Order: sequence, then structure tokens, then C-alpha cells
Amino acid sequence: AMAWRAAPRAAARLLLGRRGIASCIDPSTGLTEDQKEFQKVAFDFAAKEMAPYMAEWDEKEIFPVETMRKAAQLGFGGIYVKPDVGGSGLSRLDTSIIFEALSTGCTSTTAYMSIHNMCVWMIDTFGNEEQRRRFCPSLCSMEKFASYCLTEPGSGSDAASLLTSAQRKGDTYILNGSKAFISGGGDTDVYVVMCRTGGPGPKGISCLVLEKGMPGLSFGKKEKKVGWNSQPTRAVIFEDCVVPVGNRLGAEGQGFSIAMQGLNGGRINIASCSLGAAHASVLLAQEHLSVRKQFGEPLANNQYLQFRLAEMATRLLAARLMVRNAARALQDGREDAAVLCSMAKLFATDECFGICNQALQMHGGYGYLKDYAVQQFVRDIRVHQILEGTNEVMRMIVARNLLQG
Amino acid sequence: QAIDDDCNQTGQLLAAMLDWPQGTFASRVELEDGAVRVQREVDGGLETLRLRLPAVLTADLRLNEPRYATLPNIMVAKKKPLEVIPAADLGVSGASPRLKVLQVQEPPARAGGEKVESVEALVEKLRQSGRI
Repeated sequence: AMAWRAAPRAAARLLLGRRGIASCIDPSTGLTEDQKEFQKVAFDFAAKEMAPYMAEWDEKEIFPVETMRKAAQLGFGGIYVKPDVGGSGLSRLDTSIIFEALSTGCTSTTAYMSIHNMCVWMIDTFGNEEQRRRFCPSLCSMEKFASYCLTEPGSGSDAASLLTSAQRKGDTYILNGSKAFISGGGDTDVYVVMCRTGGPGPKGISCLVLEKGMPGLSFGKKEKKVGWNSQPTRAVIFEDCVVPVGNRLGAEGQGFSIAMQGLNGGRINIASCSLGAAHASVLLAQEHLSVRKQFGEPLANNQYLQFRLAEMATRLLAARLMVRNAARALQDGREDAAVLCSMAKLFATDECFGICNQALQMHGGYGYLKDYAVQQFVRDIRVHQILEGTNEVMRMIVARNLLQG
Repeated sequence: QAIDDDCNQTGQLLAAMLDWPQGTFASRVELEDGAVRVQREVDGGLETLRLRLPAVLTADLRLNEPRYATLPNIMVAKKKPLEVIPAADLGVSGASPRLKVLQVQEPPARAGGEKVESVEALVEKLRQSGRI
């Protein structure tokens, strides 16, 4: 069986495929020396600490707390968070490279880590000094885990129509409502919640930080999903939940903007996770084509499959360049950053799903078995086309930029 | 056995100069009172020695898993000061190499082999070429 198990040189294989081959999709080209080092650590970690377990985590729905804490010790808990509160202070491009590499080990877990990172960044960036010091250090070390709560049963793509209300009462807010599809919900400790403190629309939304254990905060049942099984997904329910005013990030009415700014980076991160899954899948396909024989020859001698593999590699590289371009724009604070992030998320998640799906097809019947990793990459990245803004919403953002911008 | 010259001499030379015991190709090291128990990777398998301290050990790749570099450490690595000490300051004379490379050549290209039909034919061929 060619299951995705870590071999001694697994990290090198993940990076480059067989020696000298697959260098056209070498993910380290064009990177600085430092970035290559970060990438190498991430690939090593993915190969040794994640890849051997990704199938088990998926099958048994294990939230790999200890593995993520190990990753946090290396600095992966707050990659683009400022160092004074325990972050690594790296750039968005560095972050993309890291998540892409980690994702080759387990896409679902890496995607959760990216959500966690996004939440810590929001507190780091929009919190006051007291909030940063209160929340960020334990989040950066992953002593505590975070969840991002925007979506509700009645508001997904139309996020600004959210209904969870936060009534001001003295120096507290009383929250009522519920959030849906919250990654990590119930198992995580810190919840970054967008709720309505004012009138309708985006300007009436504020951002509050809640903690597990606050009275009135409860969780729904753990959802059964097609993928992303190494992270629990639950509804988060607020019933007269009392939250101190001191837990509000930024000003009243700033919450939607905070949420969207968080998502710009989140979209790059999710797209990066898709890149990693696609990269791993191309290497799996390449290996299978070289080993599997039919009609007296390795599948790799078949021109159709050669062309298919070439197309997969070309699309992977195109997607990767889109994502890294958007990351650069975001870290440089360019005006077009948000729309570039949307384009990158749209393109990369769609293309990479196609790549992983093709890779599964190339495995034939074996691709459908859970003994083989390719099906898990397919299942895990399918949702990337849906969350953090559906790819339809991404098109809305791009169209608005073209026609109204 | 460094990967540049493959000499497998440095640890052994050091032990000889210091007149200390040596445990090379160590794949497991256990400290005891005033001694160290070293499991060595040798051609025939594993050899365990008990060496009185102080001793010289050289590590085999099976001894440990290297730590991961952390992101902050990678970033400060470039800024670490690199102190340059001239050999003369350490009182080391004769720092020029005492070895002179005369020649480097590839081993002879491998010639094709020959298939024989039976064990007797094989033995006959080996005897003919003087190998047995």
C-alpha cells in the first residue's frame, strides 16, 4: 500500500518529489534564505508530526491539541502576531509559505491553525494594550485555542445581516443569539464574536471576545462533516451571556471592519492550505503514475496522463503565484490587497480542488480507498471553496472592484 | 565520519591524543556513575561498551532526532555575532595542512558481468580467473 506515511526523507520528498524531478513545482523557488528555512521547518514538521497521523485524526475525529502545541512552540501559533505578545512577527508571505507546507501534512489541522492565527491577529491588531496582554500570549503558545464567530444560521454570505444582539447594560453586554459552523467550537477557549450593538447593517456590528465558561455561553452538537474532521465544528449559543465591555475589540460599530480585515488574511491562509494539499496530491499522483502498470507499461508512459499531470502542475504554480502575490499586497498595505486576496482565494481553492480531484482519478480505484491519502486531501479542501467567503462572494468582490471601483 | 572527506578519524584521533576511551558511531548513550554505556552501530550489528569517563563519543544518526529550529531562532540566526579568531591567537602553529592531495580519480567503470548456466560453471569460472 502506498499510504501517506512519513519516511526518513519524507520532508525532502514533500518539497521536491523525487530527486531532480518535479522541480517545476518546487515551492521554494523565489524565496529568501530565511523563508526557505521557515519552509523547511514547516515541511519537516508536516512530514514527521502530522502526515503519519492525518488519517487517524480524520477517522477518529481527533482534535490534535498536543501536536498543535508543538507547532506553537516553533512559533506557528501566532505567525503574523507581534513578538511583544508572543507572536513570531513574520509577514503574510512568510505565513502563506508556512501554511502551505504544513498543509501537506494535514490540511484540516493546518486550516484550523490558520483560523486560530487569524483570531490572535485580530486581538493583537485591534485590541488595546490590556487586551493584547491578556489574550495573545496564551493564544500564541496555544495554551488556549481560539475560534472565529461570524456566520449564523440566518446569515452566511450576507454576513452583515447577522442577528446576534449585544445589549449594553452598565459595563457589560448581554448577548443573545447563535453562531453556526464554528470551527473549534466547544473545544476552544477564546471566541472572537461579531454581534450587533447598534442598528442594522455592517455599521451596527461590534467585535467581542468571549471565553469558554462565561455564563450563558453554550455549544451545539458536534457536526458530522465530509472533511475537516480533525477540528470539531459546533454551533455557539448565547443566552443572556454576560460579557464585560472591556472585552470589546476596537470601537462599537467597528466589528464588521475588523471581521473583514481578519478575513483578508484568512483567505490567503485558506488558499495556502489548498496549495499544500494540491502540492502533496501532485506528488502522490506522480509517484502512482510511475509505479502502477497497465497494458504492460507504467501509467507514466501514457501521454494523456502525462499531459494531465502537466496541466495539474501548471495550475498549481499559477495558483501559488496568485496567493503569494496577494500576500505581498496585503503585507505592503496596498489598496488593492482585499480584492487580490479574494481573487487568490477564488482561484487557488477552485484550481487546487480540481488538482486533488484529478490526482484521485489518476489513482483509479485505489484513490477511493481511505488507505490512500489523496481522498482525504480532496475531502479536506472541498470546503475551502465555501468558507471564509464563498467563491461566489469572492466573485462579487472582484466584480464590484471592476464595475464600481 | 564527516560527509566531506568520509575519513572517520577525528574522534578517534582526539581520543588517542587525550588518551581517553572512545565510543564511536554511538546510537544510544546512558550515563552511569563515573562511566558511560555506549551502544555502537557496527557492521555486524550493535556493540555495547562501558567506558570510564572522561571519554570521547561520536554520534551516529540514530542517536537522536534533531530539534526543529523555531521561527524566532531562524530570524535571529543571521544576527548572531560570528567571532573570528586567528589560529595564531590560540597558539596553534602549523595551521597549514600536512596532507597534500596527489590525485583524485573515479573508480574504474563497471564492466558488464556474465551469466552462467550452472553452479559448476560458476565455480569453474571463479577458479579460472584466480579468485578461488
